[in-house]
Amino acid sequence: MTTVSGPPVGGNKAEFVSTSVNLRGLRRVGARPPFLEYLVSLWNYRHFVVYDAQARIQTGNEQDKLGRAWLVLGPLLNGLMFYLIMGVLLQSGRGIENFIAFLIIGVFLFQMTSRAVSKSSSVIRSNKNVIQAFHFPRASLVLAANIREVLSNIPVLITMLILVVILPPFESITFRWFLIIPIVILQFIFNLGVGLILARVVSNFNDASRLIGYAMRLWMYGSCMFFSIDRFDKFPTARAIMEFNPLYIVLDLARQNIIYQNVGDLRAWLILTLWSLLAITVGLFYFWKGEETYGRQI
Amino acid sequence: MDAKSDLDYIPGTPAVVIDKVSMTYQTTSRPRETESEPKPEGHSGGSKMRSRNVEILALKPTSLVVEHGESIGIIGRNGSGKSTLLKLVGGQIPPTSGAVYATSTPVMLGVNAALIPGLSGDQNIVLGCLAMGMTHQEINKRYSEIVELSGLEDAVHMPMKSYSAGMGSRLRFAIAAAIDPEILIIDEALNTGDAQFKDRTRTKMLELLDQAGTVFLVSHSMPTIADLCNRVIWLDKGELIADGEPAIVIKSYRMFAKKLAAKDRAGAMAFRRRMVRNLKIADVTDRSQLRRSKQ
Repeated sequence: MTTVSGPPVGGNKAEFVSTSVNLRGLRRVGARPPFLEYLVSLWNYRHFVVYDAQARIQTGNEQDKLGRAWLVLGPLLNGLMFYLIMGVLLQSGRGIENFIAFLIIGVFLFQMTSRAVSKSSSVIRSNKNVIQAFHFPRASLVLAANIREVLSNIPVLITMLILVVILPPFESITFRWFLIIPIVILQFIFNLGVGLILARVVSNFNDASRLIGYAMRLWMYGSCMFFSIDRFDKFPTARAIMEFNPLYIVLDLARQNIIYQNVGDLRAWLILTLWSLLAITVGLFYFWKGEETYGRQI
Repeated sequence: MDAKSDLDYIPGTPAVVIDKVSMTYQTTSRPRETESEPKPEGHSGGSKMRSRNVEILALKPTSLVVEHGESIGIIGRNGSGKSTLLKLVGGQIPPTSGAVYATSTPVMLGVNAALIPGLSGDQNIVLGCLAMGMTHQEINKRYSEIVELSGLEDAVHMPMKSYSAGMGSRLRFAIAAAIDPEILIIDEALNTGDAQFKDRTRTKMLELLDQAGTVFLVSHSMPTIADLCNRVIWLDKGELIADGEPAIVIKSYRMFAKKLAAKDRAGAMAFRRRMVRNLKIADVTDRSQLRRSKQ
């Protein structure tokens, strides 16, 4: 089946024999599939994603005596710290109605994104073994990391709501509390998109992982975690930019619904939805583009 | 080349085509302190001590056409690029240049398929099988078989980081052996584990070899290679030296090794050159592509 031709080459070199091969039906090993096919294969690996997420939640906190209690204790201590420094010492909560609930919602929801983003960004490095051992769409690892965060944050969210109820001034439970579910879903989609982008950036350029911590802190200040946006009344430009900040919108919508008894601006809901869709589209596409580069480093 | 396969052999379509594949690793190297001259002043030597980027050519451009039913044995000294070639064929690492084409995804049956240390053995089994694309039903069917092959017994419920090196590699082998691949890649898997496990892996491997259409096997054991392969390639320092009948290639490799062992470096190198000169390397062109471009 092979046609052999070509002049013999002298010297110490091997002789090259031009060989005609029919590559029809063969695929390049490790080749990146077309985008839509990639999405389908991601769906086909859903069992892997779910199992990976569940298995690692169970074992994630095993080294600590208190185990999974840290999922709740972590943000609780964090919130207490912010309350002492910002609320008591710096009085950043002046003029905010029910500052404790305001702060709790801010801290708990913000750390969902900051944890998801930092976990996603290191996913390629921390799963290098699995990547090199098996063929599967790599985006499933980022997806699993984000699902893991959401699952482990369910007790956190419940704690958050309980705290809002039991800490004075008491808030009454209304049907609006259920709107926390679409908010968290939109936040999850946004986190996933950002996580996919950062996962590729960090896998190609590890130094970026050092910047993420600083960027998240800046983002935290820009999301009104422990102060009101009214402080920016003197700077209309800054305020306008902040109103487009997806995380500010997440915190604000959650506070409006849980504490302040209104559903929130339609405009805010719209902007958040658009952000989520933009992030997930860009994230999936950008991550897919780099599919063949993951696991290349020795 | 005639294919000896009675599997679904399609005339004119090879199983694996390795097209001018090369691999260069990049890493850093610090200069040896004795290498640099004594520093004239206290602080100016800083730039000399900086590590520089080094390129390691692990595999020179290599081409191979492998047909259905061929079992390729790969032999060579340490650091000759055997494992690199396997990783490239298996898709673990992307090549620096060139490409590997295959009819289906080759499966690496190695002991270096590391899993997640924090998870228990049974969780790793499920996760590994899911990562290979198996369904929960298939895993349930195979589960007891995998545990049995791994020989872990009750330890399968303990986290993998508590395992000994041997236990870990046994588990990895058992997981990788759980699917029946069309193209199978085996890297020294025979040489791990205690005597009892060796027997079990050998039986399993022969079983998989029977099922697989095409096999790549790296081993330092010449009897194993002669036993299991019907074609042998010899790599040395990332270069293809010989490719052909197992008996002939193994004989030449032994001759080369004997000369080296007798400190006859010049003789060995001359022999190596002679081998390379007699070698015919496939210069691959894609027939289907040509036809398409003519239209």
